[in-house]
Amino acid sequence: MASIPVRPCLRRVSRALAESNPRDTHAHLTNPLRRWTGSTLPRASSSSPFSTSTRLAAAAAASSTRRTGSTLKISRKSNAPTSGGKPPGRGERKAFRKKIVLSNANALEVDGLGELSPRAVADPAAHCRVLALPGAVVDQLRLLGAFKPTQGWKYFRRPATLMRAESLRLASVVDGMAEGKEPFRAIVSGERGTGKSALLTQAMAMALLKNWVVISIPDPKDLILGHTDYAPLPDTEPQLYFQKAYTARLLYNTARANRDVLREHTVSQAHPGLPSSVSPDMTLDRFAQLGARDSDFAWPVFRALWAELTKPGLGRPPVMLALDGLASLAGPTEYLSADVKPIHALDLAQVRHFFEQLAGRSLGGPLAAEQRLPNGGAVLAALSQSERPPRTHTAAVELAVAQNEARAAAAEGPPARPYDRDIDHRVYDALREVRALKVGALSREEARALVEYYAKSGALMAPVSEAFLAEKLALAGGGVVGELERGTVRAGL
Amino acid sequence: MPPRLLFRAARPIALHYRPRPATPFAWRAGEFAKCATQSQCSRRTYAADSKSDDKDLPKSLDAKGPNTDPLPDISSEAAKTAEIMGVEGPDVEQGTPVQEVKDDAEALANLPKVMRDELTGKAKAPKSTREYSTSAIRRQGLEQRGDAIPRGQEGAEASLMPQYPSPIPEPVPGAKFGMPALPLPPRSNLKDRYDPLVKQVTNLLMRDGKLARAQYWMSYILNHLRSSPPPTYSTTHALLPGAPPASHLPHHPVLYLALAVDSVAPLLKVRSARGAAGGGATLPIPTPLAVRQRRRVAIKWILDAASKKASRGSGKGTFAHRVAEEIVAVVEGRSAVWERRNTIHRTCVQARSNATWKPKKQK
Repeated sequence: MASIPVRPCLRRVSRALAESNPRDTHAHLTNPLRRWTGSTLPRASSSSPFSTSTRLAAAAAASSTRRTGSTLKISRKSNAPTSGGKPPGRGERKAFRKKIVLSNANALEVDGLGELSPRAVADPAAHCRVLALPGAVVDQLRLLGAFKPTQGWKYFRRPATLMRAESLRLASVVDGMAEGKEPFRAIVSGERGTGKSALLTQAMAMALLKNWVVISIPDPKDLILGHTDYAPLPDTEPQLYFQKAYTARLLYNTARANRDVLREHTVSQAHPGLPSSVSPDMTLDRFAQLGARDSDFAWPVFRALWAELTKPGLGRPPVMLALDGLASLAGPTEYLSADVKPIHALDLAQVRHFFEQLAGRSLGGPLAAEQRLPNGGAVLAALSQSERPPRTHTAAVELAVAQNEARAAAAEGPPARPYDRDIDHRVYDALREVRALKVGALSREEARALVEYYAKSGALMAPVSEAFLAEKLALAGGGVVGELERGTVRAGL
Repeated sequence: MPPRLLFRAARPIALHYRPRPATPFAWRAGEFAKCATQSQCSRRTYAADSKSDDKDLPKSLDAKGPNTDPLPDISSEAAKTAEIMGVEGPDVEQGTPVQEVKDDAEALANLPKVMRDELTGKAKAPKSTREYSTSAIRRQGLEQRGDAIPRGQEGAEASLMPQYPSPIPEPVPGAKFGMPALPLPPRSNLKDRYDPLVKQVTNLLMRDGKLARAQYWMSYILNHLRSSPPPTYSTTHALLPGAPPASHLPHHPVLYLALAVDSVAPLLKVRSARGAAGGGATLPIPTPLAVRQRRRVAIKWILDAASKKASRGSGKGTFAHRVAEEIVAVVEGRSAVWERRNTIHRTCVQARSNATWKPKKQK
């Protein structure tokens, strides 16, 4: 993301307001929320006062009569490429960009490749082993958006991950979690290419194997870019906004990925404001799909589902909340409020919900009720170094993370910067106490295990010797796993 | 058959070029496998398997090499025929010394002409009329090391083999990983960083001097070749002799690229001499191209074909994706680039009588 412009666009808002009621263009001045449609996107409206389509059609009809007399024809050479065939279909170009390939028939089958299993999650001897992800878990992870197009899954026969020290740390958390235990809340930090997203994928895989409910926000940029519709949440002070289409999609993916677990639990309490089709013996799977189908109920269903999942004493499963790319959410968004000010990400209900779970406390406002996870669980937010928002977003997150990393290492961290204009103090206050899980370079043993796996799967055509490993590690910043892959598997030019 | 590659040598050895039958890789792969299993060779090859020598290796169709069962010479054949017929044939046990023939006038008259010429001193060394090599061979691996390649000994096979890293040097006391081969060539870290062909393609991909973008594209192309399914070799457009089985190509994307570029590279270009044909007509003159020139033309053609394709995607790798697909199309014989090559060659053959044309000296 190059930059996020935060300037409000007055024209866009006034057009949206005018579209909501063309006869009353000044309604927003008297009572902005009364006429608020919730969407600033231009709508295809035939009754729009600015529509030029009829005029253009009339002009075209008038010009259809052929001119008499001789005309001058000038043939011009066109530089446009001569493209044959029909143009790409709707969504085809984006699908090309977002394509995720998880297997490669050219790659060799690796002998003795273990598989991640509930038992392996609990096994400390799995350190320095590359373990494949089971097929069912791969399907679930795909639904949760745990794989990224830039990761190198397509060079190998099947998805497999290295159990490194940080993975074992998370494995012990997942394995030892029980009802009543303090949930694990952490920001996964580290330099570019150190494997933060892959660690998140591993954590989700282990949680799925342990029958947790996993809710994932793989690309939080979608929440703040203004691409999905939003509307003010009634009766909230300060004013919050919800995004029904995004929440419906989130519910759909969550319901499908966690189908087997959610089917074992039923709705236990009455939820006012939901349609009458919600019956007490409805499974949570169907309940979530109810919200996924009807986006008008998506946000109330999400709240209700969360209340059900976090109800103690019913044997509910632990919950994992995962988000990749925290800094995107740490500042003002592309959305505008009724008084044409950029809405802060923490005023979006979905984002605020995540931040409260991550911080483990209320950030003020009406969503303070169920921030605890009484059945245990984990809230993980990874930073992303390849998609960095502007400094107004990253500064607060990085300061909080640096202080927490220093605290974990019992060292003196950087001081607070109260006069730094780029520090977003709402974000800084929310993240100040959250522990940082720093992902560093691979150890030599871990790197050796990984490079040997590369060689066994035919992705690397070289003998793995000490000298070779030393060279590759030196070129990979001392064990930055992304760079190690670039230097050995990929044709890194 | 003795092995033709010296596996333990630090550098590839030039070989005689000779076209091979359809599955030429079998014996070579077998040699590699044997070498690897006997631990004589410190390099692990893609064809080597630790368990069995011949597992999954491609086999020749008739399980027989080209020189396995040669015909006997003409005297032995005549002797054998005479034995079958029950008559006296030539005595193959003892040959006739040339010195005896030299003084025998009758024998001299019946001698074959080549032998007579040789005796009388009229024989000349066979002269080749070919002014240039017609094989599109990767020999840059040898050239850049400064090895002199004897004329006619350029080897397609040796250079088509994937380049493996040099064997691990013997440990030197005090140096943890041995000593580098000194002196290093000047600026070798910059100049010899990538394969010569990869470097050439990267430079030709570059637009507006943006090398980093071209390098991203190049790595995209190689990664696409690595992860796409093995190509289906075309029966109509023959690739370079010595091409490995198609299933080996995705494991060696640089080899894949080299096979496509070198196979479709034209050997000649048509130079036009204006007015040389008289009456103002231009005279087409076939002119041979050097290896690097041939490749340049082929790469240009491939890039040209790719840029004319419609983009089906979005993002920063779309052009590279089209180039990669064009490379696969070349190897599979689907690309229109083959036609361009054939046209050039046809024109050059038609104008072959002009090949020795030289401009008249200005008075």
